[in-house]
Amino acid sequence: MLTYIARRILYSIPVLIVVSFVTFWGLRLAFDPLQKYRGQHNSASILPVQRHRLGLDKPIYVQWFKWFTKAIRGNLGVSDRTNNAVWGDLIHHLGTTIHLVVWGTLISALIAIGVGVYSAVRQYSIGDYTFTGLSYLGIAMPPFWFGLMAIVLLVTFPKTHWNLSQPIFYSIGLHSSGQSGIFNLDYVRHLALPVATLVVQSVAAWSRFERAAMLDVLGADYVRTARAKGLPRRRVIFKHAFRNALIPLVTVMALDTAALFGGLIITEQIFAIPGMGRYFLQSLNAGDAPALLGWVLLTAIILITANLLADIFYGVLDPRIRLG
Amino acid sequence: MTSKRKLSLRVVAGMAVLAMTAAACGSSSSGGKSTTSGGAGTPSTAAAVVPTGGILTIGAEQEPDCFDWVGSCGGSSWGYWMANVATMPTAMTPAKQADGTYKYEPSPLLDGAPTFVATPTETVTYKISPKAVWSDGVAVTCDDFAYTWDQIAHGKDIYDPTGYNDIAKVDCTNEASPVVTYKTPYSGWQSLFGSGYGIMPSHLLKGKDRDAAMKNGYTWSGGPWFASWTKGDNITLTPNPKYWGDKPKLTKVIFKFEADTAAEFQAFKSGQVQLIYPQPQLDVIDAMGAGIPNANTLASAKTGAVEALWIQNTHFPFQSLAVRQALAYAIDRDAIVKQLFGKVGVNSAVNSLNPYVLTDFSDQQAFSKYKLDLAKVTSLMTGDGWAKGSDGIWAKAGKKASFELKTTQGNKRRQLTAEALQQELKGAGFDLKLNFRTAADLFGKDGPAGNFDIALYAQQVTSIVPGLCAQFCTKNIPSSANSNTGQNWQHYSSKTADTQLQIVDNSLDPSAQAAAAKSADDILAADVASLPLDPLPDIVIWSKKLVGPVGDHAILGAFWNANEWGCTGGSCT
Repeated sequence: MLTYIARRILYSIPVLIVVSFVTFWGLRLAFDPLQKYRGQHNSASILPVQRHRLGLDKPIYVQWFKWFTKAIRGNLGVSDRTNNAVWGDLIHHLGTTIHLVVWGTLISALIAIGVGVYSAVRQYSIGDYTFTGLSYLGIAMPPFWFGLMAIVLLVTFPKTHWNLSQPIFYSIGLHSSGQSGIFNLDYVRHLALPVATLVVQSVAAWSRFERAAMLDVLGADYVRTARAKGLPRRRVIFKHAFRNALIPLVTVMALDTAALFGGLIITEQIFAIPGMGRYFLQSLNAGDAPALLGWVLLTAIILITANLLADIFYGVLDPRIRLG
Repeated sequence: MTSKRKLSLRVVAGMAVLAMTAAACGSSSSGGKSTTSGGAGTPSTAAAVVPTGGILTIGAEQEPDCFDWVGSCGGSSWGYWMANVATMPTAMTPAKQADGTYKYEPSPLLDGAPTFVATPTETVTYKISPKAVWSDGVAVTCDDFAYTWDQIAHGKDIYDPTGYNDIAKVDCTNEASPVVTYKTPYSGWQSLFGSGYGIMPSHLLKGKDRDAAMKNGYTWSGGPWFASWTKGDNITLTPNPKYWGDKPKLTKVIFKFEADTAAEFQAFKSGQVQLIYPQPQLDVIDAMGAGIPNANTLASAKTGAVEALWIQNTHFPFQSLAVRQALAYAIDRDAIVKQLFGKVGVNSAVNSLNPYVLTDFSDQQAFSKYKLDLAKVTSLMTGDGWAKGSDGIWAKAGKKASFELKTTQGNKRRQLTAEALQQELKGAGFDLKLNFRTAADLFGKDGPAGNFDIALYAQQVTSIVPGLCAQFCTKNIPSSANSNTGQNWQHYSSKTADTQLQIVDNSLDPSAQAAAAKSADDILAADVASLPLDPLPDIVIWSKKLVGPVGDHAILGAFWNANEWGCTGGSCT
């Protein structure tokens, strides 16, 4: 197992190198690192100095190599927008996104697996048709629309219609002013709607995967054999079928969850959550190349790591899969 | 803009420091109209007794990038409105007059008006109020003026040192009376040590890295409030007990960041925020037109912004004066403005490239002759050798009158404006193509490179210093002579306009400045150097539980006098 992990980590290095170079090259084409100096009164003297300092007078691969060697030592440079270290800014925003991703993934996984198993076991029942219809609805609803509708129906309407002193749920940020922590009602009231926005999309897609995987497994010979041996239905489903049906879902969940770390851009924008998505958007609008480079690199690392974790988890779920 | 209008605002170096609002930061003024509904407008509540106590939460459309106001990261107008105005003392302040215009007046920091001497050397002598102290009780002194000047004029990575680099010295022989001597005349002296930057405490910052000490927030204040910044979530103002002017009545003012206008509006309706200062987007204007329960609303056209069609004067077909004039006669600007902002009472286009706040230094009717007149379009175009083809589009020497309009993407109001223009121009025989660009591309690449035919965006003044030389003088066309930093992206060039605009920039005589500015406006209008469109109204919506002189300030934003506000019954929620 350790050999396998080491080999996968080694394989991921060229991927990161290619990703970082392509991104670096693209951002150099798209954004001018000297833009912030161009409007200054003494720009004529500043520009050559800054061009040299930033290495812009060197070929692109030399610039990239200089950046990359610093990046792997944790120095992602300084944000053009905030004047702060990019690494510090990224960690701050990543910490906020984790709130959404952890709760969203956990709740989505529980619901999606439950719905998927139920739909497969009760195939073509009213419940199955209902969940299928709701899944298609969930997939069809864009997050910006669902988010705004959730705010209108669950925040504004109850507050104004029933003349409440406070809204039932909040739609701005993760905490009220002066509040902090995650074990309090204020946090739940803030997190409920953004997590719901995320959950609706994830459950809709994941439950379909789980249903299909479960149907495949339920039709397999070994399940038929287990039934023929007279094992209780519950044991056949949960001990013999369910575990194997998780394997395809794990891949999808791992990659989807990793992508969420990169940014729930729309959800974070609507609910004013200062996570990775909003950081990306603000950096993009400002043409902040160092921040965008750091964001891409961190997101790529998270994706590669998630992929690796999914592969390792295969071995846990299915002992026939040998890693190494 | 941005970006409040977070504003993403970029200050243009020059006498009239103008800012481009990428996301349309908000304000503007056309025709100088201002409408208030719901009762608690500026004057009516101002006279009422304002209770003390209470917490007010305000929706903020932009989070600032940093609190180092003089640094290159400090250009956010929302940051300025929320925290700079609340904490930084200033020498002169743009004061709103009864007619909605603005004039510089001494702020509470000064003990009377400064003494200004124009000749032989421009010299300004300030007298600091003996009551003026920082939040730690240390008096505000001449050292603070000298430190501020030194940082801005000689510091690295400064946002805009215009004016400060014209100062020769700040004489602190008398600590209570700084004497500022200029090495080159600077007509905008009243804006220095004032709006935008303010004055920094020398005793707390001298010898330190100013940017590092301020960029993530600071714990001192020289204004009515302290400002604490919880990144990503809010800026909270709490009263500064050492402030020598009118002390705040509210216990706390919280600015919650919410960049999405639609979500911000819902947050207001659900009571999570009690005041919003949104961009004049269509959904907000529609909602105001329909009426918002339990809320007061204000739409002011007396602002510091002008949204215009900025024309690249050297691009085909606009190198021809006749074509530029024909374009101006081909558009019903009043109809477009009425369609966009009619529901909040703004029904007519602006007729100057200078905003309303600079009324005294502009001809606000310069472009008024340009009304929709297709007969004049035909006359001008045929007189210039154009003829309509079978497709109804003007053509000359085998080239069609086809050009492109670039504007910021993701802005429904601008999209509607562009589509309306396209429709109108098609009827007049012009083929307009639309190109929606990111703010970074439009303002970072296309503009400086002159790579546009027509660009639709707003410019907003951050001070009431007159002058359009930065945008229209020949010397400011981007070129190697100015290291391609010139802001005359229109590439407009006129010797007569140059002469007048430079008088505006350089004269220390306000009456000569005013005359030259009006003359320059008329020349720009005659040449159709660009075409002003709308005033980008300022909009404020606030809960009826909030009382006090709530209103808009075209330069300082909507919260400049929050220290005079209160909550009915001690609670604004």
